[in-house]
Amino acid sequence: MKHSPDKLTEALHRWKVAPPADPNFRPEVWQRIRERTRISWPSYLRAHSAAWSLVAALALGAAAYTGHVAAESRARADREALVVTYLVDLDPRVQALLRTGAP
Amino acid sequence: MRYLLGTLAAILLAAAATGLICFRLNSEPALHAAAEKRDAMQWLRDDFHLSPEQFTAVRELHAAYAGTCSEHCRMIQSASQVRAALAATRSTDPAAVAAAERRVQELRAVCESAIATHVRQVAALMTPADGQRYLSLVLPKIADFDHTAVPDLRLNHQP
Repeated sequence: MKHSPDKLTEALHRWKVAPPADPNFRPEVWQRIRERTRISWPSYLRAHSAAWSLVAALALGAAAYTGHVAAESRARADREALVVTYLVDLDPRVQALLRTGAP
Repeated sequence: MRYLLGTLAAILLAAAATGLICFRLNSEPALHAAAEKRDAMQWLRDDFHLSPEQFTAVRELHAAYAGTCSEHCRMIQSASQVRAALAATRSTDPAAVAAAERRVQELRAVCESAIATHVRQVAALMTPADGQRYLSLVLPKIADFDHTAVPDLRLNHQP
């Protein structure tokens, strides 16, 4: 069976496809896009590991140093106060000063 | 953005915990307790690692020194009152004023020397390292006290 090229062209011109409309087509496409781009926290951290490692090292180092300095500062202040307390008891000049108010 | 904020919060939390741990590890609770109670003897015992025998010996030295201290205190008070009386009357005798001032200064010098001797005796009861540390804390203050006004009265064992 042979068709002439003109008839085939004519038949193709007449052919029309009318697929049923899918109302979920667009939401489903977006859903698939979102699933592809969704990333977990560990994946996020792995992706930014260098920057976050630096931030963590700096923050922990600064916190450790601050804690150390604060403890030393408090010990120094405590010791200073105790030396004064000790000498107030021990020093007659200070006791005379406290009683008379005269240097 | 959610992960960024979450990560930042986790790091800040870890930093706060680290700071607190370092503070605890480096703090001296016995020293702080003594300071809060204003207990100088507890401070001596804990901060200078005194054994019970050393601590007893230090207490005995302090008790023995207390009499000397009271006597010096009385003499300084008396000399200061004489000086103050002369100043109040605006004495026309400069020699008397100078003598009163000299007497106060002499007594203060004697007193400073007595305290320094006493603290050296206390230091001798400690280990050499602790004794040295004790003297380095106390001796400069003894010299300072002569030039300062009344120290903070809250330190005079007043709660």
